Amino acid sequence: VTTLLILLPLGAALVVWLLPLNRVSAGSLALLAALAEVGAWIQMLVRYDFARGGLQFSDRRSWFSDLDVSYHVGVYGFSVWLVGLTVIVMAATIAYAFWAGRERTRAYMGLMLFLTGSIVGVFAAQDLLLFYAFFEAMLIPLYVLVGVWGGPGRMGATLKFVLYTMAGSLLMLAAVVVYGLSENTFDLVKIGESSSQWIFLGFVAAFAIKAPLFPLHGWLPDAYRESSPEVAAVLSGVVSKAAAYGFLRIAVAKFPEPAHDFRAPILALAAVGLIYGSLLAFRAPDLRGVIAYSSLAQMGLITMGVFAVNDLGLDGSVLQMVNHGLISATLFLLAGMVERRALTGELGRLGGMARGRPALATVLMTTGVIALAVPLSSAFAGEFLILAGVFQRGWGWAVVGAVAIVLAAMYVLRLISAVLHREIGPAVSDAALDLRPAELGVTVPLVACLLALSVWPAAITQHAFRGDHGAADVAAQFK
Amino acid sequence: MIYGAWICLLSPLAAAVLITLAGERISRRTAGYAATLSCFVAFAGALASFISLLGRDGGDRSVVSTAWTWISGGSYRSGLELIVDPLSVFMMLVVAGVGALIVGYSIGYMDGDAEERRYFAYMALFVFSMLLLVQGGNLLLLLAGWGMVGLSSYLLIGFWHERPSAIAAAKKAFVMNAIGDATMALAFFLLIQKANSLEFGILGGEYSSTVANLVALGLLGGAVAKSAQIPLHTWLPDAMEGPTPVSALIHAATMVTAGVYLIVRTHPIFEQAPHVADLAAGLGAATLLVAGVIALVQVDIKRVIAYSTMSQIGYMFLGVGLGSYANGMFHLMTHAFFKALLFMAAGIVIHALAAEQDIRKMGGLRTVMPRTYWAFLIGSLALVGIFPFAGFFSKDSILAAAMDHGTYGYILWVAGLAGTFLTGLYTFRLFFVVFWGEPSAYVREHFHALRRDVVGVSMASTVGVLAVLSVIGGWIQFAPWWHPVETWLQTVAEPVVSPESWQEWVSIALSLLLGLSGIAVAWLLYGARRFEVPRWAFAQRTFERKFYFDELYDALFYAPSVFAAALLRRGVEEPLIAESASDLGSDTRDLGGLVARAQTGLLRTYALAIASSVAVLAIVFVAVK
Repeated sequence: VTTLLILLPLGAALVVWLLPLNRVSAGSLALLAALAEVGAWIQMLVRYDFARGGLQFSDRRSWFSDLDVSYHVGVYGFSVWLVGLTVIVMAATIAYAFWAGRERTRAYMGLMLFLTGSIVGVFAAQDLLLFYAFFEAMLIPLYVLVGVWGGPGRMGATLKFVLYTMAGSLLMLAAVVVYGLSENTFDLVKIGESSSQWIFLGFVAAFAIKAPLFPLHGWLPDAYRESSPEVAAVLSGVVSKAAAYGFLRIAVAKFPEPAHDFRAPILALAAVGLIYGSLLAFRAPDLRGVIAYSSLAQMGLITMGVFAVNDLGLDGSVLQMVNHGLISATLFLLAGMVERRALTGELGRLGGMARGRPALATVLMTTGVIALAVPLSSAFAGEFLILAGVFQRGWGWAVVGAVAIVLAAMYVLRLISAVLHREIGPAVSDAALDLRPAELGVTVPLVACLLALSVWPAAITQHAFRGDHGAADVAAQFK
Repeated sequence: MIYGAWICLLSPLAAAVLITLAGERISRRTAGYAATLSCFVAFAGALASFISLLGRDGGDRSVVSTAWTWISGGSYRSGLELIVDPLSVFMMLVVAGVGALIVGYSIGYMDGDAEERRYFAYMALFVFSMLLLVQGGNLLLLLAGWGMVGLSSYLLIGFWHERPSAIAAAKKAFVMNAIGDATMALAFFLLIQKANSLEFGILGGEYSSTVANLVALGLLGGAVAKSAQIPLHTWLPDAMEGPTPVSALIHAATMVTAGVYLIVRTHPIFEQAPHVADLAAGLGAATLLVAGVIALVQVDIKRVIAYSTMSQIGYMFLGVGLGSYANGMFHLMTHAFFKALLFMAAGIVIHALAAEQDIRKMGGLRTVMPRTYWAFLIGSLALVGIFPFAGFFSKDSILAAAMDHGTYGYILWVAGLAGTFLTGLYTFRLFFVVFWGEPSAYVREHFHALRRDVVGVSMASTVGVLAVLSVIGGWIQFAPWWHPVETWLQTVAEPVVSPESWQEWVSIALSLLLGLSGIAVAWLLYGARRFEVPRWAFAQRTFERKFYFDELYDALFYAPSVFAAALLRRGVEEPLIAESASDLGSDTRDLGGLVARAQTGLLRTYALAIASSVAVLAIVFVAVK
């Protein structure tokens, strides 16, 4: 199933690129492939044996036997959820792109499908070189998607994005090579733990850029602002989770000693990012700016959970990865829908959109209150667990997190009231419609997933790691 | 019994979801009926639970029903579970009962509003949240209900969202409450670390005094924010921007009393942290005085009642902080009756005067709306605590409890008595100004009577029922002679203080006397107008500015965070992070240009480069050798 999940979108991408399809058929084919991918994932979810845990649906073919490099894929309990997040968000974004209509549909859809395959590959790869290959393969379509279909400032945004991620990738490549050669294998399951601080820092730097963590987020505001809304949704919803996954799967699991030694500085960076992102989100002048900086804050929080390295923190961060992926994807899509109507995302020119647009108001309000982690929402469950986890590493971290909860309430409410409430803004015309059925069809399933998780967050937290005490002993998880 | 409890919890939620999903397919009136019906169903469920608990022995009256594991992290887990015990049933009855009455009243009050459906969906959501708060079977679910009532309160305060003031008030309420949520969450983290659980049972465990103090402080932070006690009280008066039934339901009868419930529910930890419990009582006493003084100068009918709510909750905090749990809960119940009555009657006044809330424009309403006049009088007498109305029975036993708490208790007792005088004064100032005298010009011009259709009937019947409850509701307990409420709650929260019977009688006599003298002074100043109302400019200004709490918080918290955000944006984000990225881009391009210049295409340059490189390398090799 794992290989199918990787190859299905890649194959579909080839088909979309090669066949001379018209706009509608290319779009429908892509959407069909994305939905089939969701179907395949559901199949995987049902068949994965959570009671047993560990690596399942694995597939291994030797690639270069002398270096012990292989095509090795498979999923753990928590990767099942991340793959699920990927396929669901990608299906929603492809559907939205199809509906909104992008220039050169075939190229666009092909790239989105290629992106889907590579992200699933990142979450499933069990070989360092393969992981690296998928990680890079994921970035290429993103460069093109931002650089060709972005807004007016897209070239600058792409340049920054390329430079930052390239720097990270080179560091990671070096780390991968040194690590693999010194252990005589590149297989992530077999490879031994290492205590090398330099290799650890190489990986951490790469993931910290991708996440991004403060202060390595220079590419973030432009990339999230200039790309089309669905690409921004993928970037902040899914691609950033690849970095968090990397922290969990490689940095923490394979480098227990350095992870322990560097815990305080990494937690500090994450905490600074959490507060910094929240404050900037509170003053950001436009819709996407608020969501982008809140995304920075959330990644800081997730990173704190991972580096707490205890049951609560890890369970919470996996849950929060899925939550935040769904939330920020929905918010970016909604931002796109608002911008489509008002032709601007400036908060000062919006307002009063709730009147006569009940569907938009309901969806945005629901997503917003989940985003600010109102208790009883799944985001609350995730944040609560993460902070309970870092509390055990020092109460100060949790106090910082609690301050951020209050700030989150401030910036989300500011966003909601600036768009929906107060007097009608100059950019909002009476002719601006409520959400169309197609737009509801894209956003409502995402919100429904969030509501379902709110009713039962334990669906993820009980089914992410093996057994009751598994998560804290991270290394044992991956035997 | 368990089914009763689940039906009680879920029926308002079902109504909220159905109204939202149905949208314009149902009429506005239907939405109102659906919400009201769901609340009555909830009340029936609560009643069923109550009856079946009655059938059990005292010690056996606590049942927990778990649906499934809600959240887990390693070996820590909390279930989605309800608790049915005397305390939660008590609250369920109050919340569902008063809630149903007020939602029914809204059918009339909100008639003709363009977005009635949204209103009733929010109201039903609020009742669900409040029931979740009181029925939640562990601390985490309690916090979930806690946050949800904050959310629905936000939605309802900002219901008229085209008014900037309403939106600002809603945000303020939510953020203030989020601060309380955060301190509660911190207390819970500590509990998880120490006990790896959030069941109510662990609160009785043995903790070091530091841990107990910190946990109790965190919980107190939440309670103070939700119940609008000093220092987190500033949101409540602003919350009056919402429709009047909302003020009655949320900001008088139910939500703001959640802090009292929380302290009673978690009393074992407060008993281990006596200083924090004293602090709670002290904050209650301070609030009841400050709010009473501010209420004297307010001119908005709803804000006067709002400050009196703060003040009455101060009494409840005083009671439960001292460990007199049953009395605090009893006052919560009677207060729900008479405060809802006052708000509902005020709502009829506002409704009849074309949405005017300024009492300076009112006057002489006694002649034009006699029934409302009587209802308001009953509510006012109950609020001041005059025999035989409801407040009389509940307030005095709190004061008596204070006498049984040493010197500190006596200080609180004096504060409470002073508060009784203030209560009489500000309540009857409002009463005389609004209802006595000649009808003012504004009243003559704008008054229109209630219609005798569903609108009028739904409003009048609610006021009638609440008036009856405000008269007889207090009789179920009279501290010197019979106390069924205390017996009922005993298995959950055994009182720590037990005042002597002479202390009860002294408190009753003095508070009755002071309440009556407050009324007498109000009569002299505002009713009969024998004396000019005294004015001291400084005091007047301080009270009107509400002791400058808003200005203080603005300067202390809001302005610095805006400043920090601006500073970070101007000082760090733009110059360092965004610029450095752009510089990086242009530098790379420049570097590329520089390197490109070496590609001259001239053979002699290349030859020179090769030769010089070889020479340098040769020198290096020789040197290294």
